[in-house]
Amino acid sequence: MTLFMLNLMLALGWAVVTGGYSLGNLIFGFVIGYFALWVSRPLYGSSAYFGRLVAGIRLATFFLYDLVMSSIQVVWDVVTPSHKSRPGIIAVKLDAKTDLEIMLTANLISLTPGTLSLELSDDKSILYVHAMFIDDPDDIRRQVKEGMERRVLEVLR
Amino acid sequence: MIVDIITAILMVIGSALVCIAGLGLLRMPDLIIRMHASTKAGTLGAGLVLAAVGIHFVDVAVASRAVAAILFLLLTAPVAAHMIGRAAYRTDLKLWERNIMDELRESETLRRREAEVQAQNARDAGSTSSSSAP
Amino acid sequence: MSLVEAFGGGLIGWASMFSLLLLLIGLAFGLIRLTIGPTLADRVVALDFITVLAVSFIAVLAVATGEPAILDVAIALALVGFLGTVAFARYAERRSLQAKAPLHSKDVQDKLQENKDDR
Repeated sequence: MTLFMLNLMLALGWAVVTGGYSLGNLIFGFVIGYFALWVSRPLYGSSAYFGRLVAGIRLATFFLYDLVMSSIQVVWDVVTPSHKSRPGIIAVKLDAKTDLEIMLTANLISLTPGTLSLELSDDKSILYVHAMFIDDPDDIRRQVKEGMERRVLEVLR
Repeated sequence: MIVDIITAILMVIGSALVCIAGLGLLRMPDLIIRMHASTKAGTLGAGLVLAAVGIHFVDVAVASRAVAAILFLLLTAPVAAHMIGRAAYRTDLKLWERNIMDELRESETLRRREAEVQAQNARDAGSTSSSSAP
Repeated sequence: MSLVEAFGGGLIGWASMFSLLLLLIGLAFGLIRLTIGPTLADRVVALDFITVLAVSFIAVLAVATGEPAILDVAIALALVGFLGTVAFARYAERRSLQAKAPLHSKDVQDKLQENKDDR
């Protein structure tokens, strides 16, 4: 986290030196600062920061792709006259422990294809998910755990 | 010119998605499946229209506001859906007859939650609590 | 099509016009669900959807009129709409639990009994 702060300071420094405080310039400064920190890794030993940022970007792209796919799927089911869905409610055991991890996982699950988080058990260990197309419940469980949850944990841990 | 074309395409696709989400809201069989339609297609549609605004004005101030609005929608839509779904499930939700499984109905969680809310209601009602539990 | 001319004509004018038409149809669907929706929760979902739709409506208008300041209205509406939905959901949950017999009435009565004993 200190590396992230350092990176922000570098971005601010870049803005001060170039005299432009626009959003574009700050982002450009951040990118340059990130690159500078990456090059100077041998000075302070490796850190989880770089992997985490890459994981964050991967999560964002994966999520956007999923959102588009889920919309297409929903649109298809809406505009075709017959409902082919086999809906049901599935319990998924969570590895995510903290509130932030669970919140992010549940939110992202709601926006990905065919699943909607519905309820969390009292001990925060089981998430109940409504799924639209169930062929095999274990398949959905695996999809939720290895698709979204694993990626969220990669970013936050 | 190219900016205009991109804006027009994003705007029309987004509006079409919101429109289809509305159709889904109207003709899907049960509440939660309707929420699938309105949450996913509706959010992506509104997001695309907002992205069209951000691109159209070729201005960082407008674009960053559009991005903020999109992020806000992405954050709140699933929370709202979760709240409504949970409230509906605990009260009077009728699942579609072709529903194939329901692991929440069999769970302990639901019972405990219901008891909690009921007890809370009784406490709020104060002295009349004895009449609410016949 | 005088409205297209009012939006400045050309590609953007036509696209705005077409988008507004699509959104209007979506609004009609939402309003029908709001009217017939058998339970309160259905109506809350419909209202939530109509808020998202209004946000898109305002965004299209911002493009059509060339006035980016309208976008602030969309952001404010999204904020208020979210709060409204959450409040509605909580209200729906408690109101219908008060109104009807609970699903697991025995457990609930046990709990109520415990509660009374505590006091």
